[in-house]
Amino acid sequence: MTSSPARTVDVRGPRFAAWVTSAVLAAVLLTASGWLAAAQAAVFAVGAAAGLRHAPYAVLYRTLVAPRLGPAREREPEAPVRFAQLVGLVFAAVGAAGYLLGAPLLGALATGSALVAALLNAATGFCLGCELYLTVRRARARTA
Amino acid sequence: MSGTGLLVLAVALVLTAAAAAWLRARDGRVRTVEEETVGGPTAVLEGLGVRPGDADLTVVQFSTAFCGPCRTTRARLLHLQGTRPGLAYVHVDAESHLDAVRELGVRRTPTLFYLDRQGRLLGRSSGAPRPEELTAVVDAHTGAPS
Repeated sequence: MTSSPARTVDVRGPRFAAWVTSAVLAAVLLTASGWLAAAQAAVFAVGAAAGLRHAPYAVLYRTLVAPRLGPAREREPEAPVRFAQLVGLVFAAVGAAGYLLGAPLLGALATGSALVAALLNAATGFCLGCELYLTVRRARARTA
Repeated sequence: MSGTGLLVLAVALVLTAAAAAWLRARDGRVRTVEEETVGGPTAVLEGLGVRPGDADLTVVQFSTAFCGPCRTTRARLLHLQGTRPGLAYVHVDAESHLDAVRELGVRRTPTLFYLDRQGRLLGRSSGAPRPEELTAVVDAHTGAPS
């Protein structure tokens, strides 16, 4: 989380990524594949750790989709989206661990939760991970 | 094909649709609030340095760094302020005022509080307000620009 808050991204990039993520998570649920969940967790990890410019779905968007859409009309700060990748990583990692370590119900529930957040983001632009930030900070301050 | 997975997928789709509908109905909508007795929201806001007496309408916005809609809302309010002299705008970083956040019951960002010149709380909203609704609220209390 060292990126400058001023860095921005084309708003359509994260929406595209959210659709791809939703499709992958739905496939995880249907196949109960822990490895596919782990792959999605890795995708989240790259976005959270290295920044959105290096996030696999963002690269896909930039090289394949953006050139067909014309210039970005709206941009948004990167920091909230990047924080949301971290939240997604936690859920995808729990999902992968559940499937791979013989707790498929836990795997399915964690994957389903991540799917709700990703699909809601894709369809409405609402960023659940971003909203959770204040909730987490509030709770942390109380226990401190 | 996993039966459990199919069931969870179906539940996830229903939950997403319900959440989207709820957000559409509620996001950014200005709700009127009854002024609480002692130590009400106005007192907490004044503790943060808000001076409602200085303008016809004071809008206080709580934001966090990880909040995209906060920036959009802030830009809109700053723009409105440029053309409506009766509007005052106060921006509060929620993270550095967690006590106030808790006392005011701020759960999401942006959360906006609308105060009149007498310090009465006219309403509050969470989530980014729709531009036309925000303009309407501001104009109703400051007088539209000539």
